[in-house]
Amino acid sequence: MDALLSLSNDLAAAVEQTAPSILAVHARHRLPSTGIHWRPGIVVTAEHTVRAEDGITVTAADGRSLPATLAGRDRGTDLAVLRVPDLGTPAATLGDDSTLRVGYMVLALGHGPRASWGVISALGPRWRTWRGGDVDRLIRLDLVMYPGFSGGPLVDASGRVVGLNTSGLARESRLAVPATTVARVTDDLLRQGHVSRGYLGLGMQTVGLPEPLRARLGLPGEMGLIVVTVQAGGPAERAGILLGDVLVALDDAPVAELEDVQARLGSDRIGTTVTALVIRAGARVEARITVGEQPRRRT
Amino acid sequence: MSAMLAAEPGAATLDAAAAAMATALAQVTVEVRSGPRGPGRRGAAGAPVGAGVVWHPDGLILTNAHVARGDVSVVLGDGRARPARLVARDPERDLAALVVEASGLPAAPIGESCALRVGEVVLAVGNPFGLARALSAGLVHAVDGRVIQADLRLAPGNSGGPLADARGRVVGLNAMIVGGLAIAVPSEVARAFIMDQLRAREGRRG
Repeated sequence: MDALLSLSNDLAAAVEQTAPSILAVHARHRLPSTGIHWRPGIVVTAEHTVRAEDGITVTAADGRSLPATLAGRDRGTDLAVLRVPDLGTPAATLGDDSTLRVGYMVLALGHGPRASWGVISALGPRWRTWRGGDVDRLIRLDLVMYPGFSGGPLVDASGRVVGLNTSGLARESRLAVPATTVARVTDDLLRQGHVSRGYLGLGMQTVGLPEPLRARLGLPGEMGLIVVTVQAGGPAERAGILLGDVLVALDDAPVAELEDVQARLGSDRIGTTVTALVIRAGARVEARITVGEQPRRRT
Repeated sequence: MSAMLAAEPGAATLDAAAAAMATALAQVTVEVRSGPRGPGRRGAAGAPVGAGVVWHPDGLILTNAHVARGDVSVVLGDGRARPARLVARDPERDLAALVVEASGLPAAPIGESCALRVGEVVLAVGNPFGLARALSAGLVHAVDGRVIQADLRLAPGNSGGPLADARGRVVGLNAMIVGGLAIAVPSEVARAFIMDQLRAREGRRG
């Protein structure tokens, strides 16, 4: 068979396979966003497109308009989870994002359905968004994200949903939140309404380390983080960290920015122990801190 | 090896298939020029303003109404330049019919725009930025009956040129770029436009 025709048929089939699990989400003025029927009765969308917490409705692929309730939202990963009990349409066929490769042909779909075609332009390891969320894999896309596409599925050539597309995590480039992260965050949000994060109970600022001190103590980095607040009763205080200590490494990895610390405090670290290397009065001091769970921010 | 494959329709590799399609489409695509006829330009007048599709071997060419303005001439797929006569123009549907003195032209195979599915591969040929018969590839973005929306990068010189499906059949005439999307007049609408012209002519005769 003609290769171009065969590709065309595959892409159209991938759209047809996914289309029944795509919804329009009406949670902001005018322009609806897209949602994915992730598992029976559960719809995920991009958090930044959910402006209203009440009165949210969805339009199912069969045209029915249904009320939805917000089960939880995570600004960090730009994911929101809705409950839509009477959704009769099928849930998405999920794929494995760990098998993606740069150059794979993919589709971004919007409600309608509408389609956009492109390739995976870059992949990377676990990363932290500018909003502070943990994303299991960086997926950068070379395709056009049309208005209303945020929250829609990233579909591979065999019609499997491997991620959720959003324009909310990067200004210039199009990114997808991998299916692995969507599944994890959805579980967290359904169980407890928020995503757990590890925390130390410290406020810190970046400071430069003088060369003589670095040389004398054998410090790897040029920067450290000076402790400016210690939460009373928090994990760090219990481990003996004092105001004015300069944190230079966590578990032997140098830290120079708050992001370096946060990157080591995913939800999987809660309850485990990290070894903090701090400089106190010109000397190296090690403290073993049991990572706590970040108290939920009141909104 | 690839050049040999490119000559065969129905090629087994994707690049060969796309190359064969590009070649076939270029043959049925004309360059539309508009403007006063300069001296010594052998029939090709004015500046390139868009593209057109050879609809019938006897010289019937379809293009956009917004392309066919003023003195029009065409450059055929084989490079011959011909003055063109504007025989019908419908700004509402953005279609125009041109006739050139020629016969035995390679005419475009016409597909069924109403059968298009979202996600199907589509190809466009035109003269974006003055590049004669450049190819763009994309897919059907949405189907709404009135127009074809394609996820495909076009430029102004694509106007009036063919939008073809993966079988190489013309399913529309590229007309506009809206929000990065290619908007094409469906081949079904183009067919109706031609039928209307024929009926009007018969009406005038009868």
